[in-house]
Amino acid sequence: MKTAAVLRQALSPQKVLTVAVAGNPNSGKSTLINALAGTRLQVGNWPGVTVEKKEAVLEYQGRKIRLVDLPGTYSLSPYSQEEVIARDYLVREKPDAIIDVLDATNLERNLYLTMQLLELGLPVVAALNIFDEAQNKGYRIDTGAMEEMLGAKVIPTVATRKRGMEELLDAVVDAGEGAAERRPRKLPYGGDIEAAVTEVEKKVTDLYPHLAERYPLRWLALKLLEGDRQVLQETNLGDHHALAGEASRHLQQAHGEDMEALMADARYAQAAGLTREVLRKPEASRVELTEKIDRVVLNRFLGIPIFLLAMWLMFKLTFDVGNPLVDWVDGVFSGPLTRWTKALFIWIAAPEWLGSLATEGVIGGVGTVLTFVPLIFAMMFFITFLEGSGYMARAAFVMDRAMHALGLHGKSFIPMLLGFGCNVPAIYATRTLENPRDKVLTALLIPLMSCGAKLPVYALFTGLFFAAHSTTVIWSLYVLGIVLAMAMGIFFKRTLFRGEYPLFIMELPPYRLPSLKSLMIHTWEKGKHFLIKAGTYILGMSILMWFLLNLPWGVKDKKDSVLGRIGQGLAPIFQPLGFGQWQAASSLVTGFIAKEIVVTTMGQIYGKEEEKQEEPPTLGEDLKEIGLSLGKAITEAGRNVVATFGVASLAVEEDEKTASWRGALTEQFSPLSALTFMAFTLLYMPCMVTAVAFRHEFGTWKWFGLATAYGLVLAWLVAFAIYQGGRLLGLGG
Amino acid sequence: MSDLLLAGAIIIGAVYVLYRSLWKKRGYCPGCDAGTCPTKPEKNSH
Repeated sequence: MKTAAVLRQALSPQKVLTVAVAGNPNSGKSTLINALAGTRLQVGNWPGVTVEKKEAVLEYQGRKIRLVDLPGTYSLSPYSQEEVIARDYLVREKPDAIIDVLDATNLERNLYLTMQLLELGLPVVAALNIFDEAQNKGYRIDTGAMEEMLGAKVIPTVATRKRGMEELLDAVVDAGEGAAERRPRKLPYGGDIEAAVTEVEKKVTDLYPHLAERYPLRWLALKLLEGDRQVLQETNLGDHHALAGEASRHLQQAHGEDMEALMADARYAQAAGLTREVLRKPEASRVELTEKIDRVVLNRFLGIPIFLLAMWLMFKLTFDVGNPLVDWVDGVFSGPLTRWTKALFIWIAAPEWLGSLATEGVIGGVGTVLTFVPLIFAMMFFITFLEGSGYMARAAFVMDRAMHALGLHGKSFIPMLLGFGCNVPAIYATRTLENPRDKVLTALLIPLMSCGAKLPVYALFTGLFFAAHSTTVIWSLYVLGIVLAMAMGIFFKRTLFRGEYPLFIMELPPYRLPSLKSLMIHTWEKGKHFLIKAGTYILGMSILMWFLLNLPWGVKDKKDSVLGRIGQGLAPIFQPLGFGQWQAASSLVTGFIAKEIVVTTMGQIYGKEEEKQEEPPTLGEDLKEIGLSLGKAITEAGRNVVATFGVASLAVEEDEKTASWRGALTEQFSPLSALTFMAFTLLYMPCMVTAVAFRHEFGTWKWFGLATAYGLVLAWLVAFAIYQGGRLLGLGG
Repeated sequence: MSDLLLAGAIIIGAVYVLYRSLWKKRGYCPGCDAGTCPTKPEKNSH
């Protein structure tokens, strides 16, 4: 028998302990790994699949520990890709130890996975995470009793504050090196099931000794009893199900349930029993805050109005905070930056066209999009807040109920909510849906959600035409997207994707107040890619568009340029929608690359040479003005937060409006045609990046083609209805 | 002639930037850091 001492001896000082980190989604697993590994985390993919794999090697008390983050799962049943990855890794790689991250506020549900991990016979250390919240709720967890029952060390941790990390690593080292006093307990399945497990174990050992060496014996016996297809295939026991078949049949007859359900019931019973033993909750009559809030937020009648109100408030705050900074960035780009760039090109004696490319092409194009970055960051901040507080999960729950009422699959709404940030991760998130039909249907609806890239278009037009009601107009566009997604969902379900949709369990995490640091980090992660986009393909497109607007070389009127001619060719299509100008048509064409480019194109088309000033300010004066105006913008944003329900701040001052190139838009668009243009931009087609995501996720262009085709038809019809309906109602033309 | 060469080089550069960021990086984009998108190919560990 191998003792701890022998094992310690066998381990050379350079031996790397491999430790798998498992846990339920939302158990704080990622935060815990970040707390342990910090910047040493390396991100890759699991072999052969596109699920992210994180690894880190740390040094702790002279030992090297390799942490491998397994995908978050609720069980080790082979249904989702994540579950298969986690299970395969544990069974095949046999890590030295497993850290099982449990959410202490939701112990019973998290213990279900623990039960399955213990079946593998590997050393387990349970990290009882979010322990502070459990204590705040008045929960008392007897960790000593828990250790006794699980046969595993239990360490209370608060990963967000890096509490318990040293104790956890100590326990991991002990468990991994075989020095731990405790061994994983064989949790009894009771009565006849346990007898059947023992019988199968004996048969495997006698008849297939190589399998007994390759797999954890008890785990293999349980899987054979469950009739696990993957295990039967891997072990080539497909035809030898007799090994456990008879025992399975007997148990199924005796209990009146199939084996899988029987085993799941037994594990739930183990988890429930253990929880009863170790967890003491405060008086049952005390209604917790989360439940109190949920009674209102998830109310059958109030749920959707509250969701709509939350969205409205989000836009209101976004614009109140972001707009003063938008004005500041706009001022810097159109004023000092343009002047300095011109001066620089004159100073280096560059050709005139190169100066024009830099100012009209790059600053006029990229700068126009960058102007709206404060708005994008503000919105990402509020979306992150809603996600972190736990409200987004409630929004999905409320919409799930509404979608079920319409006969749709509610789980689809989760990727669609992600689509508010960007459609691309939302398309990839469809892989969380088990059924391929659900995946495709959801992906087809995602482009109808208003992503952050459409925000600059909305902000530009609402600022010019609906200054006093900008929040409400933009909110209406988001709601229009959701309503049309639901309508198209019903249409597709009755035509292309017929069939039943399964119910699913949605997790509702407790409400939390996200820390400012975490909000800032996640906002930056979401928002920084808009900056990267601006520096990469928006820059590339801006340069190409400048050439398209200036070719044939020396063309006098932009209307006669290549892009102008393309726009003129397409303009009649948009005539019935109220924006039949070549400029609008050209912007929509280039907007296929990314929706922000609609604004970029307009910036270049309408951009004019600034009139020469008598005495341009010096560099010092410019810098002073930039600093002072930034101070003013921040003060105004702060004031708006305080008086957030006051006057909408998106209003553009009249003289400013006419002085800027944006004034030209007010001559070509009416409020009604501006609204129509925004609705068309919302719906008309997924952007190029989303197209790549479609191809990548589904391996074919077919579904992107369908999304584009129906998007164009839907956009035209909706825009037509808005414009012609508005005219009939006398709202102008 | 030099203007033409310079313009050509700028256009090729812009097209390359578009190809690299849109196609080669498979549309890695805002929100992908949340972990739902596939990891960028160059970072694959396997």
